[in-house]
Amino acid sequence: MRHWAQRTHLAGLVALTVTACARGEHVPARGDVAVTDDAGRRVTLAAPARRIVSLLPSFTELLFAIGAGDRLVGRTAWCDYPPEAVAVPSVGDGMPPSVEAVAARRPDLVVLYRSGPNVTAADQLERLGIRTVLLDLNLLEQLGPAARRLGRLTGHEQTGDSLAAVMDSLAAEPPIPSTRSLVFIVWDNPPIVIGGGSYLDHLAALAGARNVFHDVGSPSAQVAIETIAARDPDVIAVLSDRAVAPRYATRPEWRAVRAVRNGRFLFLPGQLFGRPGPRIMEAVRELRQRLQGGP
Amino acid sequence: MNYVLLAGAALTTLVVSLLVGPANVPLGDVLASPIVWQLRLPRAVLAFLVGGALGVSGVGLQALVRNPLADPFLLGLSGGAGLGAVVAIALHLPGPWALPLAAFVGAVGAMALVYRLGLMGGAELDPRILLLGGVAVGAFAAAVTTALVSLAEATELRNAFLWLWGGFSGASWTTVLVFLVYAPLPLVVLAALARPLDLLVLGEEPAQYLGADVRRLKRLVYLSASLLTAAAVAVAGVIGFVGLIVPHVCRLLWGRLHRTLFPTAFLTGGILLAAADTLARTVVAPRELPVGIVTALVGVPLFGFLLRRWTVS
Amino acid sequence: MDRELIVAVGDLTCRYAGAPRDALRGVSLDVRAGEFHALLGPNGSGKTTLLRAALGLVRPVAGRAEILGRPAGEWSRRDLARVVGVVPQREENLFPQRVHETVLLGRYPHLSLFGGVRAADGAAVERALIACDAVDLADRWLWTLSGGEYQRVRLARALAQEPRLLVLDEPTTSLDLRHEMELFELVRDLVDGQGLAALMITHHVNLAARFADQVLILAEGRAVARGAPADVLTRETVERVFSWPVAIEPFDGRPQMIPLRRHPS
Repeated sequence: MRHWAQRTHLAGLVALTVTACARGEHVPARGDVAVTDDAGRRVTLAAPARRIVSLLPSFTELLFAIGAGDRLVGRTAWCDYPPEAVAVPSVGDGMPPSVEAVAARRPDLVVLYRSGPNVTAADQLERLGIRTVLLDLNLLEQLGPAARRLGRLTGHEQTGDSLAAVMDSLAAEPPIPSTRSLVFIVWDNPPIVIGGGSYLDHLAALAGARNVFHDVGSPSAQVAIETIAARDPDVIAVLSDRAVAPRYATRPEWRAVRAVRNGRFLFLPGQLFGRPGPRIMEAVRELRQRLQGGP
Repeated sequence: MNYVLLAGAALTTLVVSLLVGPANVPLGDVLASPIVWQLRLPRAVLAFLVGGALGVSGVGLQALVRNPLADPFLLGLSGGAGLGAVVAIALHLPGPWALPLAAFVGAVGAMALVYRLGLMGGAELDPRILLLGGVAVGAFAAAVTTALVSLAEATELRNAFLWLWGGFSGASWTTVLVFLVYAPLPLVVLAALARPLDLLVLGEEPAQYLGADVRRLKRLVYLSASLLTAAAVAVAGVIGFVGLIVPHVCRLLWGRLHRTLFPTAFLTGGILLAAADTLARTVVAPRELPVGIVTALVGVPLFGFLLRRWTVS
Repeated sequence: MDRELIVAVGDLTCRYAGAPRDALRGVSLDVRAGEFHALLGPNGSGKTTLLRAALGLVRPVAGRAEILGRPAGEWSRRDLARVVGVVPQREENLFPQRVHETVLLGRYPHLSLFGGVRAADGAAVERALIACDAVDLADRWLWTLSGGEYQRVRLARALAQEPRLLVLDEPTTSLDLRHEMELFELVRDLVDGQGLAALMITHHVNLAARFADQVLILAEGRAVARGAPADVLTRETVERVFSWPVAIEPFDGRPQMIPLRRHPS
């Protein structure tokens, strides 16, 4: 009888410990700060974060935008905006994140973009006792929630919420009637275009341009040149910092596309257009202007 | 009789690929449409030529290594091509021909390396050494490629890998011309070796006793088949499965004498790949599937059906 | 009447690359048309090496090997295949084929590069099949043949080459008594009837003694004895070469070897 009771007690203890370890939670302290991140984890801090490492340029921009830039102690090599960010020490290119380099900065919070390798890195950091938060940032709609949660985690709730409100209203805005059609060509061989349900597609819609591949459900898709030719976009949008015609512009098989024949390319700098961030309003304005001003 | 049938099927496949596609070209406009003449026709012709080249190459290599499971890409060529392509992109080599040329050079480099391995220690292109050497060279090239990819900008290289998985989206009349100028020589060499290859399947010593100059034969077959495959990879990426299955299909249907096997493999490979490319373009329109996936999905049931017919008879 | 000399091997010495010893040492052999030669000896005595060297596949270290008066190394493989038909010990069968297809392979040395198969070739195949009593096997798949049938087919292929010399490397291993005898009888008939020369490597000392005109015994790469069976197959020679006590009894004018038991009952 005693043996059975002991064994159940022991089993119960083991189960409890295992679950606690699995969830990686510790007992929440008083005055705590808590959000739920996009990996479904409950992220809890005893106090607003004072030493933050950001592992995505968009998060770096967001942190500066909500006034938490002075708390940044680590960034990726790609984080180049705002200019103040460059002064923060780099922890590498972040693909995948160097756990050691991040830990060396002694952060109390690490902000990561939710991807496979990053989830692994987050687990490793948690095992070192460093809190991490995994956020999605593929779509315009995810900017608001990201800003809100970062605001909460850094003690800048007000700025975070107001920025989030702006983002949310922008995301909810109906697309304005389009005047021009475009296609985003990311790669030429094989041709890869940006489809509907993506950040750039949404951006285009807000700027009054119709993405000819809006009907394709996935963010990027491989298509044939003849499909692009048949859908006949007015303009080809290219993510490029330099205004140099892409290498396929001179190839004979691409001449079937009207926009290629007429050299109608729109060059969008990667820093502003390549990543969803707080400067999205500026991006929309810029795009609108370029589309109208074009030949 | 066979050839009439095959030629007819080839023509039909070509015509269908002209008429069908994600862009809706009305029948009346077909003759004037630039989509048909500048995009679909060169693409269909190139797919046909590459399929034929892979089929012929597969026949030659299966006889050379005396292994019916040999595929032209078993000898490390795809690894070499991938490495060449990745180097071209990492170094930002200019021009539209940089990628195919680099892939070709990479494939030929792998071929030369395996060739040297096959001659080491006085061995005379022993099939087992060729196969093992091919696997080793391919693995080495893949490792270097992965190292380069991990150290360089991720997005561009990921897109480069999409190219490597095979496709005819870059087809143009220029590409077709280049292939037409280059491919006939290895094709003719292989065709001329048809009879000695019939002898080689008996084994090297019996083949010599029946009059085959086995040393010269193996070198010529290896070089020709590899060059054909390298050219195919350079214009279309790695399209597996065609070189493996087409020889078997043709052997089952039309016999294993190489005088028949080479031409039938050329036509069958061409038909298969042209049809696969048409499907790749239309099945999930407006999107496209990589051609290699379609060849596998089409080829495996086809082969299963033929195998059943053969084992029953 | 001096028959034509087909193969002339003189004082031949061969060594494989990296081998500690010579595979052949000072071996000589003359094979003329209408003669049936048997090559005997324990395993590893150099019989197959002698074959390969005589046919130009292995370059000798010393000595000469000539076919029809010309050094074996100077013959192109194609030309040589029109003179010598070989039934090797092993061959591969990668893809299924029919009997008439495989016999037709014997005509390849006679076919031009891009030319087709002519009536003369078909006739040669037919003749070869008849000579080997394999006409009724013509449409069978190779894998369905018995051991004896398969050997007859391979012999037919060698005959289809219309050679002057037939070379067989251990053709009767794994054949039963009847097929063994049939094969030896067949070779003998071809030698007598068509004036071919024949050189056969065999382990079957007794049948070699019964059927062959000349016998060459090799041991450790050296020729131990060469000549007519009656002269060569003595008890001393056989016991020395094969390291086993034997008794020699004549039968039908030929010596027959009877191995003795170690511990007679």
